Amino acid sequence: MGLPELPEKVKEAQIVSHFATARRVTVRYIFSLGCFILLWHLTASYVGKPNTLPSPGVVGLQAIEVIGSGELLSHTASTLRRLVVGFAIACFVGIPFGLLFGLSKSLEAYTTPLIEALRPISGIAWIPLALFVLGIGEELPHFIIFFGALFPIILNSADAARMTDVNLLNAARTLGASRWLIMKEVVLPSALPMIFVGLRLGLGVGWMGVIASELIGAPSGLGYMIEWNRTMLMSSRVLVGVFTIGLIGYLMSLLLNFVARKSTPWWGGWSRRDL
Amino acid sequence: MIYKLRSVLISQRWGKWLKPLLIPIVLLAMWQAWAPIEGSASGIAPTPSGVVRGFWELTVSGELPSSLFESLTRIGSGFCIAFTIGVSMAICVWYVRLAEYLIDPLIETFRPIAPIAWIPLAILWFGTGTWAAIFIVSYAVFFPVFVNTLAGLQSLDKRLLDAARTLGATKYMMIRDVVLPGALPAIVLGGRLGMGAGWAAIIAAEMTVGSKSGGGASGGIGQMMFIFLSYSLELRYIIVGMITVGCVAYMIDSVFRMVQRRISPWIQTS
Repeated sequence: MGLPELPEKVKEAQIVSHFATARRVTVRYIFSLGCFILLWHLTASYVGKPNTLPSPGVVGLQAIEVIGSGELLSHTASTLRRLVVGFAIACFVGIPFGLLFGLSKSLEAYTTPLIEALRPISGIAWIPLALFVLGIGEELPHFIIFFGALFPIILNSADAARMTDVNLLNAARTLGASRWLIMKEVVLPSALPMIFVGLRLGLGVGWMGVIASELIGAPSGLGYMIEWNRTMLMSSRVLVGVFTIGLIGYLMSLLLNFVARKSTPWWGGWSRRDL
Repeated sequence: MIYKLRSVLISQRWGKWLKPLLIPIVLLAMWQAWAPIEGSASGIAPTPSGVVRGFWELTVSGELPSSLFESLTRIGSGFCIAFTIGVSMAICVWYVRLAEYLIDPLIETFRPIAPIAWIPLAILWFGTGTWAAIFIVSYAVFFPVFVNTLAGLQSLDKRLLDAARTLGATKYMMIRDVVLPGALPAIVLGGRLGMGAGWAAIIAAEMTVGSKSGGGASGGIGQMMFIFLSYSLELRYIIVGMITVGCVAYMIDSVFRMVQRRISPWIQTS
């Protein structure tokens, strides 16, 4: 029969309290940001150097202008395209390799030293060498994102595969499942939540990597935009770029969280702070 | 031949040593063999032995130690600043309701902004010297420290706090004897994560400054690498720099892992 239905009144009360919480959080957010912007405005007018510290109003006007001219949009688009390509390659290489790495003792024995030797070298440290080999263009950010995102993805997938319940594996084996079937039906689903942890870490590192490589060696993108406006002393536009970088980073982790929650509905461990 | 290799790899005595070393040795040998072929075409292909020699040359000339020292000083001071601010701010947010309402949304707003994105503004505000780098490092370290400290504080055992209060502890005693020890594992974890992010950020900062200001004022290991790219094209020196960056990252992480094992042996660190 299942549990009895909740009475209508309780349901309504739940919805109302949910809305009340949401409204309270929004009010707090607006209040806090308002205080910050006021403080910023006062500091800016006290310092009085719009080339160094522009006031929030100027930044807002510049934001409208940059969005209106399509400059921001095209830079954002090229940054995102690079991120998607680099990150997708890292996923396609990292997840299968990581799962195999976690399951196979001999693969682990052969490749651990290589991974442990390459892992501490952050993707960003590859920029000078990659700049020489690949030149200025699309390949440099692709490579830096790929390299940065690869190791968190591999290591978390490997940990996830190692933590697969032995009873489940044995049960599947007893029922005569092939290796491929075990991989697809047992290991992958049980590993999925932790794979997403790796993806999230990798996405963060990759996002750093794409901005860094655009700051140094790319002819377009958000990193290029802020560096170019810095040399033009347009610090208000630099700030617009910086906030856009933050906003997109935030939206991406929201998106990844959403995907993670939808694809692993049985996993209750996702929290707001996990972004 | 293949069979012999296989039996050696499987054997208990040699396999344990040979298995992990096989792929690195093969790769290094391939690199050493490939470099002269490529080098005769382009003229500048570094070899592993050249990298080792480069390591020695840079150490003797003092270039590597001095720039490494500079980077380490920056990350050390940036870490101290951010750690102090982060921990005290987290305690403040945890303890005072109003501070939480005011600060928490700001933290959530600024946290997604990659520290590297601030580099152009840091150059505008602080010039191309040490202070810009310290600002970037502090920004990178602050958020992991703050978030983890706050999480540690929020997961403190309520009963311990109540017990201390019942026994008549003052606020100062509570913070010193209950709150800080209880949250210490989380604080150290935050420091470890922050230090990892900070080291990557400082390399990026030094490289950007080095690549844009035409050398000079900034120094540090990131700039050293970029100068070799833009002025002398000594690729093997760049590789020396990369290996150093990796080794330092590894050592910093090991130190934090050691501290973690000391203060919280029940948490597995990997």
